Amino acid sequence: MSESENDDTEPAEEDVADEVADSEAAAESASSDEAETEQADEAEEESRFDENVMPEGEEEADLLIPVEDYLSAGVHIGTQQKTKDMERFIHRVRDDGLYVLDVSRTDGRIRTAAEFLSNYDPEQVLVTSSRQYGRFPAEKFADAIGARARTGRFIPGTLTNPKYDGYIEPDVVVVTDPIGDAQAVKEAITVGIPVIAMCDSNNAVSNVDLVIPTNNKGRRALSVVYWLLANETLDRRGAEPSYALEDFEAGL
Amino acid sequence: MSEADTTGDRACVSCGISVTGTNAARFKCPECGNVIFRCAKCRKQSNLYECPDCGFRGP
Repeated sequence: MSESENDDTEPAEEDVADEVADSEAAAESASSDEAETEQADEAEEESRFDENVMPEGEEEADLLIPVEDYLSAGVHIGTQQKTKDMERFIHRVRDDGLYVLDVSRTDGRIRTAAEFLSNYDPEQVLVTSSRQYGRFPAEKFADAIGARARTGRFIPGTLTNPKYDGYIEPDVVVVTDPIGDAQAVKEAITVGIPVIAMCDSNNAVSNVDLVIPTNNKGRRALSVVYWLLANETLDRRGAEPSYALEDFEAGL
Repeated sequence: MSEADTTGDRACVSCGISVTGTNAARFKCPECGNVIFRCAKCRKQSNLYECPDCGFRGP
């Protein structure tokens, strides 16, 4: 993966960190001045992660993890571009132009994808990630559920050339980014197997059979999504999920 | 999709065309497990599909 893709993740993560710092500073200044009690109340109401990330009426209690954990990982952070395919997963656009993904739909799709994957033999699941930040979580995910992983460059012919030593015949493919893992998607289409893809707001969902809307550029966001997907898949198989989020977080 | 899957009456869940050849996909509905067929064209054009049993909408 190019360094420019890594650079894309920095502003989004910095934005989240800046918002946290700003809200905390606002809370401190407001509480110190009794004359500005109204402002203090407002600041208290504006908790650290109060960002509007799902439609009103959605039950936060239904989420796999607290919404604050989603927000702190930046799972909801999209890009400044959007595609028509991903419009239905976008909740709103921020003042800085970043599209915000609907966290409740991300959560729901993680459950759906886990249900989908639990129907397959673990060894027949292939996980790919050419994106640097997705490599460790993808390998960990594959290790957790007993799947196979192909991280880094996806060697052409892996799914289509029986003469290639690394030739495999999976039944389903999970890709971290349909753009970066385009070769894996292309070969999956050729052999006619379903594709599950983690799509950001700027991804086209062409040749994808199940979308998981998420920030697929952030290190922590990918860790959280793969962790939840692994735990849910294990849970639906009847196994005991024994992994913590820290197990899926790659070093900087 | 294997050759056995491409024979018989298998209609694309999006457009209704009879699914034949390669590049089409056969998979169970992620929600209810009902078998879904998607033709190559609908996959490429990312046409929405809806499970006839449970109403799940994808991709």
